Amino acid sequence: MTTFDAMVRWRYRAIPDHLLGEILAKRWIDNAIPLLILIAVVAVFGSMIPDFFSAASVSNLARQWGEFSLLVLALMVVMVAGGIDLSVGSTFALGNIVALSLISVAGLPVPMVVAGTLACGAAVGLVNGLLVGYLRLRAFLTTLVTLIIVRAIVDMLLMKYSVAIAGAFIESDAWYYFGEGSLLGLPVSVVISIVVALVLHVALSRTRVGWHVLATGGSRRSAHNVGIKVRRTICVTYVVSGTLSALAGLLFASRLGGAGADTGIGLEVSALTAAVLGGNSLGGGRGSAAKAVIGSITVMLMINSMVRMGVTSGANSLLLGMVLLAAVAIDVRWLKNRHKFLSKVYVSPTYFELPPAPSTAGASVYALNDRLRPVEAIGLNRIDGPEDVILDGDDNIYVGNRTGDIVRFLAPDYTTQEVFAHVGGRPLGMAFAKDGSLLVCIGGMGLYRITRDREIVKLTDETNRSWFSVIDDSRLKLADDLDIAPDGRVFFSEATIRYEMHEWPVDCLESRGNGRIICHDPNTGTTRTVIKNLLFPNGICMTHDGQSFLFAETWACRVSRYWFDGSKKGTVEAVIPDLPGYPDNINRASDGTYWLALVGIRTPSLDLALKMPGFRRRMARRVAPDEWLYPNINTGCVVRFDEGGRIIETLWDFGGENHPMITSMREHRGHLYIGGILNNRVGRLKLKDADPAWTGPDSYWRRS
Amino acid sequence: MIGGLKRALDNLLGRGEAAVTVPPLDGAFLPNRVLDEARQRVPLDAIDSLAVVNGQLVASADEGLYALVDGGHWTLRESYGCTIADLAAVAEEGLAIALGSGNIVIEGGRFDGRRYRADSSVNCITALAVSGTQLYVANGSAKNGASDWQRDLLERNASGSIWRIDLDSGEALPIASGLAWPAGIAIESDAIVYTEAWKHRLMRTSLHGSPGVQMVQADLPFYPGRLAPGKDGWWLALFAPRSQLVEFVLREPAYRNRMMAEVAPPYWVSPKLRSGRSFYESLQGGGVKHLGILKPWAPTMSAGLCVMLDATLRPKFSLHSRADGATHGVTGVCEHGGHLHVAAHGDGVMVSLPVATILAGWGGER
Repeated sequence: MTTFDAMVRWRYRAIPDHLLGEILAKRWIDNAIPLLILIAVVAVFGSMIPDFFSAASVSNLARQWGEFSLLVLALMVVMVAGGIDLSVGSTFALGNIVALSLISVAGLPVPMVVAGTLACGAAVGLVNGLLVGYLRLRAFLTTLVTLIIVRAIVDMLLMKYSVAIAGAFIESDAWYYFGEGSLLGLPVSVVISIVVALVLHVALSRTRVGWHVLATGGSRRSAHNVGIKVRRTICVTYVVSGTLSALAGLLFASRLGGAGADTGIGLEVSALTAAVLGGNSLGGGRGSAAKAVIGSITVMLMINSMVRMGVTSGANSLLLGMVLLAAVAIDVRWLKNRHKFLSKVYVSPTYFELPPAPSTAGASVYALNDRLRPVEAIGLNRIDGPEDVILDGDDNIYVGNRTGDIVRFLAPDYTTQEVFAHVGGRPLGMAFAKDGSLLVCIGGMGLYRITRDREIVKLTDETNRSWFSVIDDSRLKLADDLDIAPDGRVFFSEATIRYEMHEWPVDCLESRGNGRIICHDPNTGTTRTVIKNLLFPNGICMTHDGQSFLFAETWACRVSRYWFDGSKKGTVEAVIPDLPGYPDNINRASDGTYWLALVGIRTPSLDLALKMPGFRRRMARRVAPDEWLYPNINTGCVVRFDEGGRIIETLWDFGGENHPMITSMREHRGHLYIGGILNNRVGRLKLKDADPAWTGPDSYWRRS
Repeated sequence: MIGGLKRALDNLLGRGEAAVTVPPLDGAFLPNRVLDEARQRVPLDAIDSLAVVNGQLVASADEGLYALVDGGHWTLRESYGCTIADLAAVAEEGLAIALGSGNIVIEGGRFDGRRYRADSSVNCITALAVSGTQLYVANGSAKNGASDWQRDLLERNASGSIWRIDLDSGEALPIASGLAWPAGIAIESDAIVYTEAWKHRLMRTSLHGSPGVQMVQADLPFYPGRLAPGKDGWWLALFAPRSQLVEFVLREPAYRNRMMAEVAPPYWVSPKLRSGRSFYESLQGGGVKHLGILKPWAPTMSAGLCVMLDATLRPKFSLHSRADGATHGVTGVCEHGGHLHVAAHGDGVMVSLPVATILAGWGGER
């Protein structure tokens, strides 16, 4: 290794480039800009206004914020579902006057007042909801009309009751508790809005209703197509919005006790500014309670600070308008450019140096030959992409295909084929369990069992989440190959946690240890990650000692052995550290050795590029994926090796004419069956020196 | 200063000069399989250049000069002990043979047996053209030999030159220099047109009067090579396709230099006359075989292309052999006896097509 290479290696070890992309891929990153704006507002006004942080100031602000944030939350719920509610200000005023009327004119007890006020708000919301949701009127115009009508009702109520309200004296501590009381040292209104925010957060992120709301806002048509009752969902959001607005009005009434003509005027604009500034998308589908809270605090601080600094009310509105404009602009640009930026920075190659590649010529154990020439084709052009091949005790062949089936070719002539099971995902590695059921790794889905009666059972689709991983690595993205220990534990590889199955070449471009090996214990139903940071772990095969397995790392071009039991438990040892190509599946041979498929051969130009991460990163950004430098997977071979890592033989089809593309092979009764993930056939080769009675299931489960 | 900053910014963002776009095969370059579908295919290993002497088609391949007999197979006419760089007919019965050593030999005709050399520094002859008693010689590079063309491309050299030799006096004069691999010459009445492969363009330089240089065609999708006269225009052989990946590698000096130092030349990421024969060659994403099939539109380091240019050197239509074809690396082209003969060096084959059929096919499509 040259000094330059060493420097590059340290640079890529020291700086984890991939984290930037992973952080940007998180949903909560949408809150970053609103939070920065909030911090800036606090910093600016905090330094300009004396006593900004004093207890009295903060307490006064907090009470107002409690009411305001409820309005913003109300608006957020509607916006997330793709609508807009301009009537929040009027409903707020209605809540105020209704609450005051009920308590002072009608003299109702406080719980009745609360219920009545909320019902009143809900009724306004229901009108909105029916018009917008069911009659499908335009949200903007409809709620504008409601704004005017509700305001008119408020004015009429004011004319009728304002004198009575002003003259009445309310003798109820419970009533004043809302406006002036404290709970746990916090104003009651703040506690209420925090509770509401938490409930909304949980609802939106964790419940079915919340997901329906988000889905409706994200794409109304898609939501309808998947069976969500779009109209009802939208209607519900308006009802929630009206109720919350009335609740805010109730708190206001309790705090100030006065019914004025200007109550709630212009509040909808402030609330809208706050909601958008917090990062809730006007287009719907993107928003959260946290965003509404951040936005409401920011706007609240701005308005109050301007008032305290003596800015005239006209200038105040002007500022608010400018902020709304800027927030909308940022919202649009961010939405448009985030994924572009993310796609540029997500791929983050790192330094990786492969050992020198052994030769494939002359006296090398890997020397080219024609030994795969006699391979017969089974199911030629009738099967699309059999990644793995396995045979049962009755000699039937099972293969997965690209369209999500497990196809069975029937013995003895294999001319008849049938869909054994339709699993939906991409079936990859397979193994027979002791009870004769077929265990399959399904790309994009996880680990599944298909019983002899063709029942498909999910074994696991998740594992334990790593503590310090930014991306959520609990879900299985690309379960690749598996094998079963004598006690029934299933060890399977997940090739990469950073990419989906069809993005495997990007993982090669990165050549970081993104993969892992996971153990599923059917006896306890638990799934735990056992080895992490592997370079595209692929094939797995139990050794004969029952305490360890062999596994292949494709991009690292090596085969290693891991002990899960016994005295060497937990250790990994290299078995073949330097393969000339990219290893795929490993399976047992009849004489106690192992078969290994090399899916492709290393190319010197790519080996060099692996030592130059910057080159690969720029390539990923500037060159179209179809033009990228790929591992050469057009030519492969089959290798047989023993536990010590000694290569016994290599089977080539030079030129790849007869059997292009090899990803797996399975020995069965003196024949080798060969599969390939991009192939259109299953290959079958007669082996000269193999035990003609040996089968895989026997080797695993019928040993004495 | 501003230019430097702009270049640095372009380099950072992959814009401007650092962009790796390659023009699409469209218009006159619309792909077809005409070269692969030609009925008459005469194999000759490493066939390179074509010429007509005494009404007979001759071809160079490595060190040998071959003649086409009975219209069906090649016979060795003479071996020169040194790679033949190019052939050009001198009048009806003479043949100028440029050798890899830089010498030019004339066989037959008025100048039979005479030897010429443009200059002691001319060691990389890529093309010859004769007009009357004037012989025009293209020297691809001052730094590399003709067989090292990939290195010359990767080094981003522009050290080629064009010379004129008077066959009577033997006097040689440089006409143009500082060219990026001139690889073909066409002689017009008072100007010559030459291809500049590494800059993917056709240039015209005046022979009389003002020595202005004029761009005729720019941004070709392949690397242009030799030019040959046709009945109503010119034929242009383009020896290798450009690709985004190569354009990108050309903009990555660190990788290019290490690749040239550490990797064997056949396995470089560079255009080739024939690619895909070894599994040590680089593979591109679209080149992965699916169900045993290589897509014709797969990105490739080699392909076959021959373009018909009209009298004003505008491309009219083209004959292709695509990624999955078998007529890659077109280095020579010659219209003779109503047929178009195309020499594909990469696949070692000459394909012949009736010109009338080609023109009719094109006219029909129009």
